[in-house]
Amino acid sequence: MSGEAAVFARGLTRRFGDFTAVESLDLEVAGGEIFGFLGANGAGKTTAIRMLCGLLPPSGGEARVAGCRVGRDTGALKRRIGYMSQRFSLYEDLTVLENLEFFGGVYGLGRAELAARADELLPRLGLDAERGRLTGSLPLGYKQRLSLGCALAHRPRVLFLDEPTGGVDPVARRGFWDLIYEQAADGVTVFVTTHYMDEAEYCGRVSIMVQGRVVALDTPSGLKARTGGVDMQDVFLRLVDA
Amino acid sequence: MRALRCLVRKEFRQLRRDTALLRVVFALPIFQLLVLSYALNNDLRNVRVATLDEDRTALSRTVLDAFAASDVFVPGPAARDGDELEALLRAGACDLAVRVPAGFERDALAGRVPSLGLDVDGTNSSLAGRGAGYAGAIVMREAERFAAAQAGAVPPASASRVATVVRFLYNPELESRLFMVPGVIVMLVTIVSALATGMAVVREKELGTLDQVLVTPLTPLQYAVGKALPFGLIALVDLALATAFARLWFHVPMLGSPWVLLLGVSAYLLTTLGLGLLASAVSNTQQQAMFTVWFFLVFAIMLSGFFFPVDNMPEWARWLTRINPMRYFMDIVRGVLLRGAGLADLRGELLTLLGMGVAAFGGAVLAFRREGAAGGG
Ligand SMILES: Nc1ncnc2c1ncn2[C@@H]1O[C@H](COP(=O)(O)OP(=O)(O)OP(=O)(O)O)[C@@H](O)[C@H]1O
Ligand SMILES: [Mg+2]
Repeated sequence: MSGEAAVFARGLTRRFGDFTAVESLDLEVAGGEIFGFLGANGAGKTTAIRMLCGLLPPSGGEARVAGCRVGRDTGALKRRIGYMSQRFSLYEDLTVLENLEFFGGVYGLGRAELAARADELLPRLGLDAERGRLTGSLPLGYKQRLSLGCALAHRPRVLFLDEPTGGVDPVARRGFWDLIYEQAADGVTVFVTTHYMDEAEYCGRVSIMVQGRVVALDTPSGLKARTGGVDMQDVFLRLVDA
Repeated sequence: MRALRCLVRKEFRQLRRDTALLRVVFALPIFQLLVLSYALNNDLRNVRVATLDEDRTALSRTVLDAFAASDVFVPGPAARDGDELEALLRAGACDLAVRVPAGFERDALAGRVPSLGLDVDGTNSSLAGRGAGYAGAIVMREAERFAAAQAGAVPPASASRVATVVRFLYNPELESRLFMVPGVIVMLVTIVSALATGMAVVREKELGTLDQVLVTPLTPLQYAVGKALPFGLIALVDLALATAFARLWFHVPMLGSPWVLLLGVSAYLLTTLGLGLLASAVSNTQQQAMFTVWFFLVFAIMLSGFFFPVDNMPEWARWLTRINPMRYFMDIVRGVLLRGAGLADLRGELLTLLGMGVAAFGGAVLAFRREGAAGGG
């Protein structure tokens, strides 16, 4: 199973000085799964994702993502993953189309491929009418959809989304999750963090992290059964407060 | 290659929209040249001259008239005797006292070296030395002309030689500009390339876009080149603007080949762009990057021979100038512009700069590679 897992981590640890932000993380996420990576503020979610994306060297343990050893097969790893960071981080002084062209172009996509990909992605993201608009002038919900589009431009196998819907209104969030479902249906593995417990219900499986450690990992219904919580909100509070 | 082209296109798009930066970057050369060249010129002007003519001959009058005609000197009071002349100088009524002793014309005509008294107020040492030198030159010129006129025909060759020397020596205003303008050009190229590049990279760190770029397959070398290229080009455009402006406005010549200058600036830009990128690799905010770059720039400027001639420095400081890329570039710019130096003359400087450039840029790429793995802030 570990050989074909889309995301695999064993003993993955990150320390900042004396402080351990992620402690011995063990994970296996199957291809095409939507995996919810939950935890309170400061639990270590972003730190773990940055390690899995090869942005932060681990202090210990090992990880494999999309068949690549993290920290070893860096070049191949980068081509197979998409990453949407917690902070909005596209170029605000570029237009929607220019951002998409840039983040596709650095993967080596040619002009024609880029144009085709933009024609395919922009309508799906509901951004077709905004092509020529400067990204900085877009509402947050649009920006987040564009970030997703930029992370998808090169057709990654594994998608890391770090709080993709933070600060976005409920309707826009619902729309965003439709896009996530579409990706999963296409076979993309989605590794997503969120603080919205209604979104946790949409995930195939979720893990809950407390102070650097995963304290629970199961399907939402499995977790509810085990903890006796009525919904994910309840489950989360019981596990995190415990 | 495609990825790099894509990155460079993106950088230019962003640059085109940053009108504030563009304005600064293109107005800077003209502005700096004008302000610095006028403000920092230490030209000799308005030196007040008191005179005492004890010879009262045609030559003595010619010499004193030449002082009055020069735009460096302002004629002051004429003294009746030596005591009065000394009193004028002591009272500060003049900066320079010229005393033409009796027998001056006779000595000059007889081919002996005529003697003449020049007393200078030494409290302003720079003015004193240069004022005296200039005054001495006027006297020599007039005496020579007078003697030549008396002796009859003058060989044309010698006449033209004298004339050239005279023009150079006798135009300290031009000399000061000639000295300042290449210095300003060097500073301009340095600031635009090192500072702007460093800040641009750190801005990406601040905005979080650097992380988004680091998860793409762009290599550190590609990233460094993509970031450096637009600012390198801006620096080249600034160099062209500045030399053109210096030529049209200040009549600073370009005696050597523009290609040699281009070669020199290319090698130099490698070091400054590398320095800017290095600063950005060790900084997390634009302020930090700016201070880091300035820290090095101040030393580089001080030890470049711009304000203080390298020959006047103590041994250890002179040794330091040898590891200062700006010094070599300063030599190249002055050499090409003012002396018409060619590839052969500047080979040492060019090779040294190239070595430093490769080291600095390579160091920056290595720093980015580590940064890429460490993930920044
Ligand atoms: N570069 C760093 N240096 C020192 N400490 C850090 C660094 N990055 C993160 N931390 C610390 O590690 C802990 C985990 O941070 P992380 O950002 O991973 O949490 P998170 O689960 O993503 O929280 P949030 O939900 O607020 O995004 C925090 O206490 C944070 O302060
Ligand atoms: Mg986080």
